[in-house]
Amino acid sequence: MTNNHYDQTPLPGQDDAVQGEVLSDCPLVVAKEQQKAPPQEPVHTKRPVAFGVFFACILFGFLLSMQFKSVDISSNALTSQQLRAEELQALLNKEREKNQELYEELLRGKDDLSQYREQALQSGDYATILADELARAELAAGFTDVVGPGLIVTMSDSTKNPADTTADPSYYIIHDNDILQVVNELRDAGAEALSINGERLLATSEIRCAGSIVSVNNNRYAAPYVIRAIGDPAAMSSALSMRGGVIDQLSIWDIQVDVQQSEEVLIRAYTGKTTFQYAQEYKDNSSQEKGE
Amino acid sequence: MLLGVIGLAIGIGLGFVFPGYFPETLSDYMGIMLIACADSIIGGLRARALGEYNDSIFISGFFINALLAAAMTYFGKRINLQLELAAMVVFATRIFQNLAILRRNLLNLNAE
Repeated sequence: MTNNHYDQTPLPGQDDAVQGEVLSDCPLVVAKEQQKAPPQEPVHTKRPVAFGVFFACILFGFLLSMQFKSVDISSNALTSQQLRAEELQALLNKEREKNQELYEELLRGKDDLSQYREQALQSGDYATILADELARAELAAGFTDVVGPGLIVTMSDSTKNPADTTADPSYYIIHDNDILQVVNELRDAGAEALSINGERLLATSEIRCAGSIVSVNNNRYAAPYVIRAIGDPAAMSSALSMRGGVIDQLSIWDIQVDVQQSEEVLIRAYTGKTTFQYAQEYKDNSSQEKGE
Repeated sequence: MLLGVIGLAIGIGLGFVFPGYFPETLSDYMGIMLIACADSIIGGLRARALGEYNDSIFISGFFINALLAAAMTYFGKRINLQLELAAMVVFATRIFQNLAILRRNLLNLNAE
């Protein structure tokens, strides 16, 4: 009871002198003066049972241990987050190793495949025709390394300090849309093969925002983005840099787009997996009869 | 005194058995409220030792001090002033003072 210090209500049998003593700082004085007052009854004998103190102590203890637990948990939460980060790092490393192994396996598989093909080629005319067809299909689909004249377009984020401007800082970084525009423009100008940061663009490729980076063929790439395109270098270059074109628009935000023409651009094959889960070849035998 | 210790033990036991815990935002307030409660209990024990104990004064002081301390903390947060420090200093000082008085009183009674 905190207020008692100020509003003391002495019980009968206690005089002010006793309370005065008790509040004094010297225990010797207290002892002496109490001996001087023999008629005083022992204070503790007539105290009522203090249920207030009892319940207050229960509540206090309850809150105290709850608070201990809460503080423990919130401090543990931090350390467990760090542990989690380490755990995830270890998992990532393991996953990377596995990835590397699988990639090597893939390369071995491709070697085997090309050996089989060579063997097949030697076996007859029909096989030669099939092999030619396969090669053409692979070229179109993006499963072979290709080389030819074209462009190397490098897009990098604005060097402008976002703090210097009042505009939204996100305008000054490259978005998936910007890359899409460039790629679209290149395709319009006759690009035959395209890659972004070494990732071959296929018919099924996506160019999509993945946080602060861009996802292509479900692999993530960060700026700067190097887009390689094989096609007519002059046509593609002018398609990009025409007035009001892609580069013109991006330059508003100070995004750097460097276009380099080259006589020999090498674009690597797609190395990921291709499984068609839903699409199946449509076989319609009556199409010729219908005169299609 | 004995009742207080028993109550404390029961309370602590209950608190550890009780599932759940305070959210972090609440725990700022709980700290200062705990100090206020501790101050009230020590004050109550002192009052009992001096024979001036009153249940209603104790209970009202127990809750009102705790709530005032929490309200002060909240107000301090709103005006960007660490008002809870003021409450903390007052409560801690009074715990020491009351404990000193209680101690003298108990030693004195034992000596008799």
